[in-house]
Amino acid sequence: MKNDKIALYPGCSLETSSSHYLKSIEKVFEILEIPSDSMEEWNCCGATSVKSIDQRLNLMLNLRNLALAEEQGIRDLVVPCASCYHRLVSTEYELNRDPKLRDELNKEAGFNYKGEVKVRNILDFFVNVVGLEKISSKVVKPLDGMVVACYYGCLNTRVPKPASFDTMEYPMTMDKITEALGATVIDWSYKTECCGASLFITVDSISTKLVGKILNDASLREADCITVSCPMCQTNLDTNQGKVREAFNIEKPVPSPFITQLMGLAFGCEPEEVGMDKNFEAMKPLS
Amino acid sequence: MEVTELEEKNISYQNTSLCYQCAKCSSGCPVIEEMDVYPHQVIHLASLGLEEKVLNTETIWICANCYACAVKCPNDIDITGIMNNLKQKALEKGIKPKRPDVYKFHQTFAQDILKRGKAHELRIMGEYNLRLRKPFKNVLLAPKMFLKNKLKIQPPKAVKGFRNWIKKLLKKNS
Repeated sequence: MKNDKIALYPGCSLETSSSHYLKSIEKVFEILEIPSDSMEEWNCCGATSVKSIDQRLNLMLNLRNLALAEEQGIRDLVVPCASCYHRLVSTEYELNRDPKLRDELNKEAGFNYKGEVKVRNILDFFVNVVGLEKISSKVVKPLDGMVVACYYGCLNTRVPKPASFDTMEYPMTMDKITEALGATVIDWSYKTECCGASLFITVDSISTKLVGKILNDASLREADCITVSCPMCQTNLDTNQGKVREAFNIEKPVPSPFITQLMGLAFGCEPEEVGMDKNFEAMKPLS
Repeated sequence: MEVTELEEKNISYQNTSLCYQCAKCSSGCPVIEEMDVYPHQVIHLASLGLEEKVLNTETIWICANCYACAVKCPNDIDITGIMNNLKQKALEKGIKPKRPDVYKFHQTFAQDILKRGKAHELRIMGEYNLRLRKPFKNVLLAPKMFLKNKLKIQPPKAVKGFRNWIKKLLKKNS
């Protein structure tokens, strides 16, 4: 049987702290007439933590996901979270590059993964599978006049080179989607700068500094918001913004909606339908 | 002293001897201010085989795994991957992590997800504070998150078949 299905790999944070991201994805997929089923019985990708202390276990966890997705007939495994994406696509790359390692791990873990499922970042999926024309055809409330800074963070684009879908230094996929919604995108310097990821929990003095620089640059360039596609970035930019803005002397709030929330708004959804009520820094209502 | 095989173990395919110390990795590192040794120096120490020294740095733990260094390296050395190899090596050798605050988070996270196959964020944050013996760390985040229903008291539903699979796997390896 040939793999032909599209399925989501939501990841842990989309089921809890970033459930508004999942809500907006499901809504947007529905409007774009794409099935938004999640793959069955997926497990945590291990994020940065497992990889930091046990790299073989990290590969095993993601091999399990890839092997199950393949068994379930999935062709495109769409991954919204940058961290999950990085783990899955790196494992895919690593195992397909080294068939001996793949055989060895398959045998040990009891799977038969052959490499027939393609791990796709959600930005890649929107631009290269769904297509910008289809996205703009669904726009009923264009985001005219909205100035948007597109923020990619680290892990969306810094994957093994053969697996990448966008340029690492200055990616544009999210910018293209945002433009298709009618908004104005800006050039800025912090597109791919790190937000600090889990240092937000462990050493928050570092993450405050990093987040501050990102907000500051967007704010100086008069962006109305920073749009993101990573739940960790969104949490870090949004949750403690008051404190960060005070430290950096940034006057106005800088909301950080998910790209799929902006899509939903442009597609005519009510803000609650795409989970906007869950963002700490609220967006100005569209005129 | 002999050059060690630090970076050649199993999964890694790095060769630190390709490094000519251009320090691009260090100049692009977003968390360098917190580091005791710069990333290009870590690579130098590793290639000289100064194992004890490199495994005892804060740098390997502070690394945020953002891969800025790896994509900037003109010789395609996966510096981030090496940082992870070094962390793992330090643990294998029983060297106490120089940044326990970071290590304990990774440890708590990894152990939590092995229970059900998915992360229980609230439990991870609580358990992390206990292990750090800092019960009030990040405590102001909790009410904020609860207010937006972003933290769940209930753990996620266990992934079917996961627990047995992982138990068998870990047993095989021990």
